[in-house]
Amino acid sequence: MSDQITLTIDGRDVTVPRGTTIFDAARMNGIAIPTLCHQQNQTPVGVCRVCVVDVGARVYAAACIRECDPGMKVKTGTEPVVRARNTLVELLMADHPSPCARQQASGDCELEAMAKASGVSEARYARRLSPRGRDDSSLSIAVDHEACILCDRCIRGCDEVKKNHVIGRSGRGYSAHIGFDLDLPMGSSTCVSCGECMVSCPTGALTNKRVIDAQLPGETLDPEWILQLPVFKGVSGTFLELNKSSLVKRRIAAGEVICREGEFGSTAFYILEGSVDVFIGTPIAHVKQEDASAGWLSRIRSRLADRQEHTRTEESGRRFIPIDAPVDLPYDKPLAELGAGELFGEMTCMSFHPRSATVRAKTEVVVLEMLRNVLDILQKNKTFRAELDRKYRQRALETHLRSVPVFSSMPADFVDYLRDRVELSRYSPGEVIVRQGEAADAFYLVRLGFVKVSERHPGGEVVLTYLGRGSYFGEMGLLGGGVRTATCTALDHVDVVKIAGEDFQLMVSRFPDIRAGLEKVARERAEQNRQRLASTEHVPIDAFLNQGLMEAQSLLLLDLEKCTRCDQCVRACADAHDGVTRLVREGLRFDKYLVASIRRRNSMEIIIEDWCIGCGLCVRNCPYGNLNLHPFEIKVPDPEKPNRMIATTRKKATGCDLCMEHAEPSCVYACPHDAAHRVEPLAFFGTMSAVKDGKRTGSTEATSK
Amino acid sequence: MPPRSIATSIFDELRAIQRAHGYLPEGELRTIGDRLDVPLYRLQAVASFFPHFFLKPPARAEVRVCGDMSCHRYGGNELRETLAARFQGQDAHITHVSCLGRCDLAPAIAVNDHIFERTSEAEASALIEAALAGASPEQLATRKHPPQRTPVMCDPYVAGDRTSDLEPRTSDLEPLTSSQYGVLRTYVQSKDWPGLIATLKASGLRGLGGAGFPTGMKWELVRNQPGDVKYIVCNADESEPGTIKDRHIMTNAPHLLVEGMILGGLVAGARHGVIYIRHEYTDQEHILQHEIDRCYREGILGTGVMGSDLSFDLEVFVSPGLYICGEESALLEAMEGKRAEPRNKPPFPGQHGGGLWGKPTVINNVETFFFVPVILARGLDWFKTAGRNGSAGVKFVGVSGDVTRPGVFEVPMGIPYRELIEQLAGGVAPGRTFKSFAPSGPAGGFLPARMADLPLDWNAMTQAGATVGSGAIVVCDDRACMLDMALNAVRFFRNESCGKCVPCRVGSAKLTDLLTGWTRGRRGPNDIALYEDLSHAMRQTSICGLGQVVPVPIASVLKHFPDEVDAHAKGVCPAGVCFRGRA
Repeated sequence: MSDQITLTIDGRDVTVPRGTTIFDAARMNGIAIPTLCHQQNQTPVGVCRVCVVDVGARVYAAACIRECDPGMKVKTGTEPVVRARNTLVELLMADHPSPCARQQASGDCELEAMAKASGVSEARYARRLSPRGRDDSSLSIAVDHEACILCDRCIRGCDEVKKNHVIGRSGRGYSAHIGFDLDLPMGSSTCVSCGECMVSCPTGALTNKRVIDAQLPGETLDPEWILQLPVFKGVSGTFLELNKSSLVKRRIAAGEVICREGEFGSTAFYILEGSVDVFIGTPIAHVKQEDASAGWLSRIRSRLADRQEHTRTEESGRRFIPIDAPVDLPYDKPLAELGAGELFGEMTCMSFHPRSATVRAKTEVVVLEMLRNVLDILQKNKTFRAELDRKYRQRALETHLRSVPVFSSMPADFVDYLRDRVELSRYSPGEVIVRQGEAADAFYLVRLGFVKVSERHPGGEVVLTYLGRGSYFGEMGLLGGGVRTATCTALDHVDVVKIAGEDFQLMVSRFPDIRAGLEKVARERAEQNRQRLASTEHVPIDAFLNQGLMEAQSLLLLDLEKCTRCDQCVRACADAHDGVTRLVREGLRFDKYLVASIRRRNSMEIIIEDWCIGCGLCVRNCPYGNLNLHPFEIKVPDPEKPNRMIATTRKKATGCDLCMEHAEPSCVYACPHDAAHRVEPLAFFGTMSAVKDGKRTGSTEATSK
Repeated sequence: MPPRSIATSIFDELRAIQRAHGYLPEGELRTIGDRLDVPLYRLQAVASFFPHFFLKPPARAEVRVCGDMSCHRYGGNELRETLAARFQGQDAHITHVSCLGRCDLAPAIAVNDHIFERTSEAEASALIEAALAGASPEQLATRKHPPQRTPVMCDPYVAGDRTSDLEPRTSDLEPLTSSQYGVLRTYVQSKDWPGLIATLKASGLRGLGGAGFPTGMKWELVRNQPGDVKYIVCNADESEPGTIKDRHIMTNAPHLLVEGMILGGLVAGARHGVIYIRHEYTDQEHILQHEIDRCYREGILGTGVMGSDLSFDLEVFVSPGLYICGEESALLEAMEGKRAEPRNKPPFPGQHGGGLWGKPTVINNVETFFFVPVILARGLDWFKTAGRNGSAGVKFVGVSGDVTRPGVFEVPMGIPYRELIEQLAGGVAPGRTFKSFAPSGPAGGFLPARMADLPLDWNAMTQAGATVGSGAIVVCDDRACMLDMALNAVRFFRNESCGKCVPCRVGSAKLTDLLTGWTRGRRGPNDIALYEDLSHAMRQTSICGLGQVVPVPIASVLKHFPDEVDAHAKGVCPAGVCFRGRA
């Protein structure tokens, strides 16, 4: 058997090694056969059929997968072949959301380009009626099933190229679609955000999510350089190239502050070299606004509230203060040091929390500063996860345990015992951590994020409470009948420390005081649950909570069913704020409620200083739509006559302050229809939240401005 | 004892979970994934592909109503709509299901996975009520009719040969050999495998699943492939509307199927054989398993077949469901635990890289295997003269639809379709007119009654632009609208498309939409051009036969019933089927 075979392609004799596909044979001889599903670095699958050619058989052959036979006569461009090919493109275009996300972003959707090249201008076939949906759950990759042509390129990229084994086909026939793991949202799956699928995708089905268009200040990095860092191992170079603007290297001189407590930010930091000090000015950091009677012209000053006066309620009995870094700060000496290989600022970056501490360079430091899409890539990286895990066990576990009052007395030897036995797990929004009715096999400490605790009832699911950092769950099942009494679901990005059931049992048997403490809390929780259930109403709030509103201390809610748009509230607000209303009837909605304003936990409300230059960035970036720009009249020195002041207007940002200095916000007071309310989210959701499945829709009524 | 299965065990794992929980909970899937070290997406890929599996808790009454071809003729689709309306708001989930293989007992429904035949609305409602009241699957099952067993006429081990005439002549012949598996015994002793192949080739026996590939040639091809490991598979997954003949053979002559498979395995050099049976044929699965167990007990299967130095193992593999599994490479994919998506060919299953686990594999239909020992026992002369008008052989055909005595008939090749339909199957109901027939389910298209004088013969049918196919004859009387029947057939293909390739996945949906519009009087000026482009692309570029035949039903109706199609464009359905409920 000869190793070379000869065949004819479009009338030309070509000689190729045996085993060569028609596609490759044609390509080697300068004949381009169009394709959508075939890529040189992947095993051919022959599913799009666009590369079909006439080989003189009963039906056409897919050139990408069909091997050449000796003497084969291949015709790649006859009228019937082109006609069949164009029909396939037309069929795909009929269901394609043109221009798709890729076409819009970079103009390189392969399907749309092919349609244009083959003159398929308008699809004559009826458009698909059943929607296929989008998946916005991943922080770095946008999934639009509408634009998916099921070419399997992402599947092979994930499987063959990166060996991550996450993506597959789910469903069948016209309902088939790509799915992640058990057809989960991409963000909840085991996807490591390597970006290979997105790079492989020919259409707008998988596209890069850019956080902002602007470039982060600092030194931009070559993807090749980034890839040699172990924590970025396995990521697609093209993906990093696309996200170049979201990752920079910064060199910071000793003594310089990297980020400041209380500030809002959108980046996280990974230390490459050097070390930093992490501290908080005071455990309470209570920023108060000056007396509002001074009016808008007065410079709003901050002052640190007195420590004894304003102890955070949740701090009582605590010895450590959790911050947004892999360490907790001792209450009496709130200072820690972080070094190379450590990450801080995760929660600020992912969930828009304010910075929980100030970080200052101790030595000269080199950091990578990144936006949430790059942080997502990093956090999902296997090398990084392993490193984080190791460090946590080494240093953070002990302080974390001691930060929970009930464990504060745990002897050091038992902490050592637990050190290598605990498990660190991460959950994405919506993921179930433990399920009611299943066997209780572990105890959980919340390290990051919020966890929803809910109970199944005949009418649906009743939310019992929400647990944040420093809380724990799972003890009721372990101390009680061995069965989970409630379902615990991750509300946002949640990291937990898992203590196996047997270790938990050993702990409670060895330390009766811990057992007593846990039992006391369990009894209190059970009692609270009973009370809450008694006053349950049906309010679909999940979507609402997922947007981070649990962080808010107070919410201004407008009941859209009662509101008549009489504008009394808007006028009242203007009266209370120097004639400029801060109330705009737009914002997040759930059920019949509109969130007109929120305020941050522990008085970390957003405060706009008088020196606001009206750049508008905060207004554009506010995820809650609660900041607005207003023109103010101000007096400035006349440039021509330095001693004279002249009037001019300048735009400034305004935000609701909930009229905190008054017993009631002026708009609430003014509303003649009882439609405006100021509520405390924990109390509000705790008592009103019975979430019924299938009723998680938004408002029923639009608001007018 | 039979060895461990050579096919995947993943479906057994999934079925076990479903039995325990009623569906496949996520946690259980994760547990299997960990235990078997299988990525989760692969479990999802198969669990979501086969309709047999529930990914959510099922309703108390899961009701599936067949509405394909014969069941459509018997009001299956109307039954489904009536039941859905009646049980609205209750914990009953009433959906369409593709052909359940009970075309002669239409309409068929499945309640909590138990199939009921010839179901009236009252009976169906009573079953659903029982299921809603908590009747167990076993209690529901007792309401079912057991299959009736009738001897196969050409069985060489039973006295009598009734194939030379339509009337039974039971005492003509003595049994050819004293005991079953006599042919196998002869060949195990002589080991004349080349002789066996030569006989098959001379007989002209073709693959009777529908494609008609010469059997002797296929066996020889696999026999001549290098390598020690080869497999043999029986395709008992008949799922095409109208196709019920294999059910009849498995019910009545399991010993001939098993004997044919052992012979094929020994000829091809395969040590293992698998009967891939459709999930809905529970009775036949038990009958075959019973036969296989007997063979192991009697030393016919296993190590040392009939005391020789030859070995052969045989097992039954229950399909996780779907028509596409009848496509031979899709069937192999399913046996490997994957989505039953047809493979790109070549390589074909008989070749290296194309068979089960990549090994050369013989795949034949039930009826093909059945005829091997029959031909070898009765001889070439008998087979060649068993047919009429020069056609060779005997054939099993199912006749269903608008006939008074639907069923499976064992007939001489060459018999005119008219005789089959009007005499054997009793013809259409009194007062009705025989309008058309589909010679091979939806895939063979529809022929007008005037073409019923064609003989059941491969060559004659091919010349007439039709096919004998799988012998699934579906009859329509004058109450049927042919455009509606074409839509019904195309919709079946759309429902059963695996979705792997673009022409079939998208094309079958677009063609269904197009034809739905036609039945409602919406036919645009460019629709015929649109249909022709689509038809060309589907026939020429689809990976497998399913996609390639999707346009056949409408093509045949456009060819033979053009006036009826055109009338719809003017808002008239001559048969009075379409436009119902409209002024």
